[in-house]
Amino acid sequence: MMMSFFDQFASPTYLGIPLIAIAIALPWVLYPTPSSRWVNNRLTTIQGWFINRFTNQLMLPLNMGGHKWALLLASLMIFLITINMLGLLPYTFTPTTQLSFNMGFAVPLWLATVIIGMRNQPTVALGHLLPEGTPILLIPVLIIIETISLFIRPLALGVRLTANLTAGHLLIQLIATAVFVLLPMMPTVAILTATVLFLLTLLEIAVAMIQAYVFVLLLSLYLQENV
Amino acid sequence: MPTSPVKTRIPLTSFGHLISEVKRQLFGIDAPTPTELTGWRKHFNSYTLQGRRNFVLVTYGVLALTAAVYMMRHSRKEEHETASASS
Repeated sequence: MMMSFFDQFASPTYLGIPLIAIAIALPWVLYPTPSSRWVNNRLTTIQGWFINRFTNQLMLPLNMGGHKWALLLASLMIFLITINMLGLLPYTFTPTTQLSFNMGFAVPLWLATVIIGMRNQPTVALGHLLPEGTPILLIPVLIIIETISLFIRPLALGVRLTANLTAGHLLIQLIATAVFVLLPMMPTVAILTATVLFLLTLLEIAVAMIQAYVFVLLLSLYLQENV
Repeated sequence: MPTSPVKTRIPLTSFGHLISEVKRQLFGIDAPTPTELTGWRKHFNSYTLQGRRNFVLVTYGVLALTAAVYMMRHSRKEEHETASASS
């Protein structure tokens, strides 16, 4: 069977059963559950420390109303980081390369921030659609532009994550194929290409973590405007 | 060498503040105080929150009205064409 470079992004199925559910549920299985003990073991303590630290940092610019989102945003961050990092292992499927998956997170969460803003402070939410001090002739144009930029936000959130991860995985596969092809013909060039592949893998590890962080950070910024 | 006419750092926290600072430093246009806004400017201006909200609502209203008029005309035109084609 001829394999193309995009087969790695096909949603996996086995005998007609979609395996994406297992891929999505995997991060939940990998993390230890904190027990009811007063002092947990080292692994659980480190996990709790990291989550507390990250959540603290994320909630700093938000007021008390925004702190209700702490659990959701922290869980989302850990979930996305884990899925992205697991996708870097060979022969694994990365759910975050699917646009539908990322839009499934981006659209409802963005819409929730907009609805919260319209419900709690409609004047401020609508007033933000026109920058202060705009000349009169530019007012209708800027309102339309700001409205378009508001609706583009969930699209940008989803596509950013999808495109970054898809491009990274594709590059890794392309360069790895190049190493295999060049090895018998030009071993020196193959070794240089393998070095590039190693550096690219390090970059992809960073991108996997950064993109998950950016996704959650932007959501918290949208919440900050509206809560 | 020409130097920048901007004397102080323009805050980049929001687009609105950028516009206000550029107007003030480059053109000498200061933002009016709320008491200086009279007449229709009291309710429709780009300085107070209420003024900006009203401008946004009016713009949306005009767009919705234009879309409604266009769709009504379009459906009337289609009915007219169907009637003339059947006769």
